[in-house]
Amino acid sequence: MGGRGGPPRRTAPLVPVPVLVAVLAAAGAAEGRATSESQLPGASAVGTGPPPSPSGAAFEETRLHVFTLDYPHVQIPFEITLWILLASLAKIGFHLYHKLPSIVPESCLLILVGLLLGGIIFGAEEKSPPVMNSDVFFLYLLPPIVLDAGYFMPTRLFFENFGTIFWYAVVGTLWNAIGIGISLYGICQISAFGLTDITLLQNLLFGSLISAVDPVAVLAVFENIHVNEQLYILVFGESLLNDAITVVLYNLFKSFCQMRTIKVIDIFAGIANFFIVGIGGVLIGILLGFVAAFTTRFTHKIRVIEPLFVFLYSYLSYITAEMFHLSGIMAITACAMTMNKYVEENVSQKSYTTIKYFMKMLSSVSETLIFIFMGVSTVGKNHEWNWAFVSFTLLFCLIWRALGVFVLTQIINVFRTIPLTFKDQFIIAYGGLRGAICFSLVFLLPPAVFPRKKLFITAVIVVIFFTVFIQGITIRPLVEFLDVKRSNKKQPAVSEEIYNRFFDHVKTGIEDVCGHWGHNFWRDKFKKFDNKYLRRLLIRENQPKSSIVSLYKKLEIKHAIEMAESGMISKVPSSVSLSEYHEGKIKPLSPTEMENMREILTKNLYQIRHRTMSYNRHSLAADASEKQAKEILIRRRHSLRESLRKTNSLSRETPVLAFWLFYRKQFF
Amino acid sequence: LGAALCPGSSPPSPSPLCFPPTVTSEQIEHLHRRFKQLSRDQLTIRKENFDSIPDLEFNPIRGKIVHAFFDKRNLRQESDGLADEINFEDFLTIMSYFRPIEMNMDEEQLDRFRKEKLKFLFHMYDSDHDGKITLQEYRNVVEELLSGNPHLEKESARSIADGAMMEAASICVGQMGPDQVYEGITFEDFLKMWQGIDIETKMHVRFLNMETIAHCY
Repeated sequence: MGGRGGPPRRTAPLVPVPVLVAVLAAAGAAEGRATSESQLPGASAVGTGPPPSPSGAAFEETRLHVFTLDYPHVQIPFEITLWILLASLAKIGFHLYHKLPSIVPESCLLILVGLLLGGIIFGAEEKSPPVMNSDVFFLYLLPPIVLDAGYFMPTRLFFENFGTIFWYAVVGTLWNAIGIGISLYGICQISAFGLTDITLLQNLLFGSLISAVDPVAVLAVFENIHVNEQLYILVFGESLLNDAITVVLYNLFKSFCQMRTIKVIDIFAGIANFFIVGIGGVLIGILLGFVAAFTTRFTHKIRVIEPLFVFLYSYLSYITAEMFHLSGIMAITACAMTMNKYVEENVSQKSYTTIKYFMKMLSSVSETLIFIFMGVSTVGKNHEWNWAFVSFTLLFCLIWRALGVFVLTQIINVFRTIPLTFKDQFIIAYGGLRGAICFSLVFLLPPAVFPRKKLFITAVIVVIFFTVFIQGITIRPLVEFLDVKRSNKKQPAVSEEIYNRFFDHVKTGIEDVCGHWGHNFWRDKFKKFDNKYLRRLLIRENQPKSSIVSLYKKLEIKHAIEMAESGMISKVPSSVSLSEYHEGKIKPLSPTEMENMREILTKNLYQIRHRTMSYNRHSLAADASEKQAKEILIRRRHSLRESLRKTNSLSRETPVLAFWLFYRKQFF
Repeated sequence: LGAALCPGSSPPSPSPLCFPPTVTSEQIEHLHRRFKQLSRDQLTIRKENFDSIPDLEFNPIRGKIVHAFFDKRNLRQESDGLADEINFEDFLTIMSYFRPIEMNMDEEQLDRFRKEKLKFLFHMYDSDHDGKITLQEYRNVVEELLSGNPHLEKESARSIADGAMMEAASICVGQMGPDQVYEGITFEDFLKMWQGIDIETKMHVRFLNMETIAHCY
């Protein structure tokens, strides 16, 4: 997000984990040792004394230290490593008890751990634990999560629902922000609550920062409940796109709070700012995505650093957008979506796997750290409790969200091909979780302009905890109770791909016949443009690939590797066939043998298993289970032997070898 | 003159359609205009008239789509085979397969709705009208689908079709012995395969926003 550089924050050093008491003790000792150079010779473990130096300060010199502990030297990387280690260990801990993640989303548990830690630090040191540094959050912790989400976003579904997502994100957030702001202002006017010093603008600013649905929280909660992709993409897409509006509103109201007079021109400037922030962010992302794709076109000699380009360019897009105070989240999402299409075809298989795994790892770590920090930062003295403000904030958040979703859906349903049912609306409203973004934003408020900042912090924390805990825990039983359509995790088969493609063409054709310019029309146009210009420029070996064929080839390669590994071709080929091959004369296969091979091929295809990305943050492609693979192999061996026995080939090996050659020619 | 030749300038009432009439009169107006455009103000359309739609040329399964309009099974006529020409009523009948789903449909209606749409698709696959999609027909479909791709050999297309057929066999028949032969995909099997895909929501064209912008030449 842009423009959050408020007053420069003092970089609070991360306090070491007190559970590792030994480290703490040693650190304390080391600090004592390091600071005071003048030691009594007896106190340090020295060798028997060398003669004192001839300089005058002989009494101050230190003996040779056999064993030294120099903590401040490594303090920062050490603490960072410990935090990340703690976060990962906590994650392991949760998954050990296998029932737990299904009842309680991980985010809740992590916040609890953070609270515990914060409590320990507070108790041990009697001062507030370090608050999560907003810079650290926005510059380091948030981008990996958004990158991961954007890279694996189902683009087709996203663009099909783009209008709705955009509508919810922009108008919905505006509605929420202004609604919450104005109603809170109304509450503040009631003098019984002691809130009369909070102005309208301050309330509006508060409303704008608390109305933003948070992508991190949404991801964390929705990944476990597996609602159908359509719902998921609506809520998640909204959480991504509303960043633009949040940036603009936040900056707008913050500047308004600091300005004496507000002219009409400022409001127009605000509207113009919105367009610039949103569109600018997206353009930067797309541009850098293209550059990344173009770069990977030339990396076939240095495969090892291919993944690096993906990460560098996407991070660059984020911080470039931040530099211009545009929407970094939209930039990095656009970059990831653009890159995904082209980079996948340019990089090697290994690089692709590396990219996927590394991305998941980074985002997982980031998410864990964010939630733990949120817990830690909650404990402390930055709070001011006011029953009225806090409870009304929570109430208004819920009410306005529900109202907003309901009203907006009625309007957008007129334009949608598939109208959203009440169940969908309920889940969308209920899934509007707040999280770390509003948390960090509230900490960035300049205290000079906001004397009641602590009150805001408390209110934000209460709202976040409520949404993450209560809504996060209850959404799963609710989804089951309401019988919301879940995602069907069927493995895609080649036939399904064929059907889908066929169906697309039918629909496009009918639309053409009707003279109707629908979604398919635009998609077709884009595909043509893409094939003609973009792919030629950005992809190295540009063969217009059909998704059917690529899926089929992927499956076949996997199948062939399996077959080779299972030892099908383990027999040493007879010298007869080998010598023939070496002479460059491959025995021509009779038509019956060809037919056999084709039969073998088809017979053995039917157990193909291949899982594409289902929405699970923690796992990528799942391999076929052991038992299944073995069953396939046994079956294949049987059928191969059967058919070999049927043919009257001279030697057993020749068809097999020729079979392998046939394979190789076809697919490698 | 065109109006006089048309079956009355007001389009026919939608009662010939079997299922509850949900195509509004506004939509029928749109479609009627389009029909007149395609037929060049004649009463009927022939296959050649479809050649005048420019965008349809790029569609790989163009032949099958046009064919579908003239397929007597889709036109709800008792006989089999292909009609030579269709009038506006038939045109509407075909278009009605692409109606959007409605909120007030009950389970049985939804099921019938879905079956109708899938039957339409099934007829497109099953070109020889024998009620089964054989391997050869399937191969035909895949070849046509991939025909836009000049780099692809025919062999690959055939292998893909074979593979897909085997998948269908495994879904419909289960484990097969090595000597069993799978005849072809019947309509029931076809239904099984499309179970996971909610066709009733995807298969429709929004007649609402139609403007006959795309002119024929």
